[in-house]
Amino acid sequence: MRGLTISTRVLLGVLLIMLAAALAAPLISPHDPLRQSLLLRLKPPGSADALGIFLLGTDDLGRDLFSRILYGARASFAVATLSVVVSLAVGVTLGLVAGWVRGIAAAIIMRLVDTMLSIPAILLAVLTVAVIGPSFTSLVMVLGLTRWPRYTRVAYASTLQVAAMPFVQASEMAGASTARILARHVLPNIAGPLMVVATSEFGLMILFEAGLSFLGLGIQPPAPSWGSIMSAGRQYVERAWWLTVFPGIGLFTLVLCVNLLGDALRDRLDPRSAGR
Amino acid sequence: MSRPALTVTDLAVHYPVRGGPPVRAVDGLSFTIAPGETLGLVGESGCGKSTVSKAIVGLQRPTRGSVVVDGVEIVGADRATLRAARAKMQMVFQDPATSLDPRMTIGDTVGEPLLARGIARGRALAERVAALLAEVGLRPEHASRYPHQFSGGQRQRIVIARALALRPSLLVCDEPVSALDVSVRAQILNLLVELQTTLGMANLFVSHDLAVVRHVCDRVAVMYLGRLAELAPRDALFAAPRHPYTRALLLSVPEPDPAAQRAKPRVPLAGEIPSPAKPPSGCRFHTRCPMARAHCREAEPQWRRVGESLVACHYAEETTPV
Amino acid sequence: MASDPVTTKPVLEIRDLALAIGGARVVDGVSCAVAPGEVLALVGESGCGKSLTALAAMRLLPRAATLAGGEVLLDGENLVALPEQRMRALRGRRITMIFQEPLAALDPLSSVGTQVAEATGLSGAAARGAVLAMLAEVGISDPARRIRQYPFELSGGMAQRVMIATALISRPAVLIADEPTTALDVTIQAQILDLLRRLAADRGTAIMLITHDMGVVADIADRVTVMYAGRIAETGPTVELFAEPRHPYTALLLAALPRLSDAPKAPLAVIRGQVPLPQAFSAACRFADRCPLADERCRAEQPPLREVGKGRLSACWHAERVR
Repeated sequence: MRGLTISTRVLLGVLLIMLAAALAAPLISPHDPLRQSLLLRLKPPGSADALGIFLLGTDDLGRDLFSRILYGARASFAVATLSVVVSLAVGVTLGLVAGWVRGIAAAIIMRLVDTMLSIPAILLAVLTVAVIGPSFTSLVMVLGLTRWPRYTRVAYASTLQVAAMPFVQASEMAGASTARILARHVLPNIAGPLMVVATSEFGLMILFEAGLSFLGLGIQPPAPSWGSIMSAGRQYVERAWWLTVFPGIGLFTLVLCVNLLGDALRDRLDPRSAGR
Repeated sequence: MSRPALTVTDLAVHYPVRGGPPVRAVDGLSFTIAPGETLGLVGESGCGKSTVSKAIVGLQRPTRGSVVVDGVEIVGADRATLRAARAKMQMVFQDPATSLDPRMTIGDTVGEPLLARGIARGRALAERVAALLAEVGLRPEHASRYPHQFSGGQRQRIVIARALALRPSLLVCDEPVSALDVSVRAQILNLLVELQTTLGMANLFVSHDLAVVRHVCDRVAVMYLGRLAELAPRDALFAAPRHPYTRALLLSVPEPDPAAQRAKPRVPLAGEIPSPAKPPSGCRFHTRCPMARAHCREAEPQWRRVGESLVACHYAEETTPV
Repeated sequence: MASDPVTTKPVLEIRDLALAIGGARVVDGVSCAVAPGEVLALVGESGCGKSLTALAAMRLLPRAATLAGGEVLLDGENLVALPEQRMRALRGRRITMIFQEPLAALDPLSSVGTQVAEATGLSGAAARGAVLAMLAEVGISDPARRIRQYPFELSGGMAQRVMIATALISRPAVLIADEPTTALDVTIQAQILDLLRRLAADRGTAIMLITHDMGVVADIADRVTVMYAGRIAETGPTVELFAEPRHPYTALLLAALPRLSDAPKAPLAVIRGQVPLPQAFSAACRFADRCPLADERCRAEQPPLREVGKGRLSACWHAERVR
């Protein structure tokens, strides 16, 4: 935590609060997010009844918006984290192999990367969902398996650079096995740029999840997701603005935080490696 | 007569170039190094000396030729043989900044050769690392620090400590002091000379700096455009160079003595260094040689003995001393 | 404050220059002067501030460095006080600079002819004529062919000649050369040093040569200023300074060099310790920690630059006892 600017600490704090809230949703959620009540439909923020206060109002089925937003945050974090993990694993492995082995293998892998990057993400998502049906798992699969090329590109370039370094050659001379060199020397030294990509991808995955759920291709009702809440709230924009505004604010804040932290991370890594 | 620590025979490294003749970085080099001897390899850019050092340790595959280290053939060796042979030879690179993994402690770096080959682990490893650090003049407590916490000269010592870990019979140093300040160079050179006497390793010392080479070497080889111009015992080479290129090189090195320096001829060698992709015909040096004659353009000179030197020049007997 | 005594009137004079990075004075109290046709070498190891001093003279300091005091007089005009517009008129015309890596200093997308012509301010046939003449003068053969070439087609030595042509074509009063031969092979270095010396003598250009190589200094410098940790250690005519250094740093530096006349494998003199970091600067002499002659006075007080002989200045309390 040393050496972080005030603004970075604030951002980190906000992010951690949101994460904590999401993780603790079952504990702090004032109402059951799935509990419907036709009497309590579309109540404005601050309304109360025998059960308690509805801080942010209720939706078209009388469910507490605040609780649904908390649980929706869990979905966002979960999908984003898991899809980043999957694409990191696939992407970095392929990039590492391409950068280390080079030759035909690298050519094939990088052509595959180019191909994947030419396919529109939405199209791929719709096709996949059409085939395996919409669900949490299919969402993670779609996102995980369409985003890996971005990591591969960075991992490939970084691996090429590091592999040419004298200290890697020295390790070869020392008798280290290829596995040891990759694990102990290459991976730690390419981690920096990869982390920068991962943070920006994380923010993007949150938006993608919201977008896909908005289109009905992601998290299925009645499970809450910021995207599906906003989708359902579309019809009631004039009567119940809180259904679209509050999840929207949540999305905006979270993604902004993640992106700014990613920038701070990039700045932190750059001058250090430049000031060798 | 014990066998040589290193025997290089007709070594050649050609880089293919698309749509043109290959770059003949090294084009038929032969020499030996006896155990405990330091051979200097000098030359300017494009002469191929760095390529030679990489080819000897197996980091560069030669186009033809043979490299025998302590009785083991390196060229064309399979992975297992190469790995085993590398226990007997180590390399000291030029740039201390990139020779050490910035994310590993120097203790781990210096101990890696021992760990990777299963020679020592745990406490025994830590003890060996401490001993190695002490050997190069560093303190054992430094083992837990990272490279960026050390100066250039100290980093080069760490690189040397790592190279010594396996007690190789051959040490290949590629411009080990070029990236260091003058006052630090002296420390590293003194260290290398000291290690020569205590450890008795053979050493191939590659450098462009003749004054440095003279300070640490027993014999000196001069390269030009992929071939050897001259190979001689140190004193003979500096007192009576037989090849006009060696002579020009010696005169070109600016001496930190104004009176002596200004008494030397102004421009010992005119012209540019030709490209290794298109070496001149006949004797490669003829385009710049002050003594060149028609014969030099037509026929390549033979590698022959003149006085104490082995030299490749048709008219080596006529080279005047410096 | 003792000034550097030059026999002829100097064309470039740096007086008491001080530069700061962060809070520390990385260059402090630096004064030197060069006369027309003379070569002054500014020599020291990395981090001594010699390059920063040169950049300050050109008003090309990196953003992190600020001017903390002093003057740079070009023909009497104080460069550091000038408005940027006036400085731009002088820079590249009256005072020019060449750098260590010629291929990095040349624009890879412009031909040689275009780049050299830019320095003339002329155009068309007049420019072409001037460029061809200059390229021939710096020893480039077949200039008509070369002006159409691009930097990547040039060797290191050729590129440095092009840089020198660019720097000298406007007939500047002063040329600052920052490590001009460090990246070149030794036989090419000899050619470039000879070229610089000849051009200076023929055209009366004053050359300030920045280098870490004492051999280069011995070759072409008329006078030498030795810098250490941002301050001047000593200054004087080359021949005398090498024969009888008057600062322990100079003496040790000369003793640390392997020479072709030494006994081989004899241990070289070592300067123990390291150059102090700017944060560690204090009121003491900056060399005191490493100096074999240091005493209480050295550790308490910075010695001023004082005259210790004809044309010689030294910043050492014990200048007379050196060697």
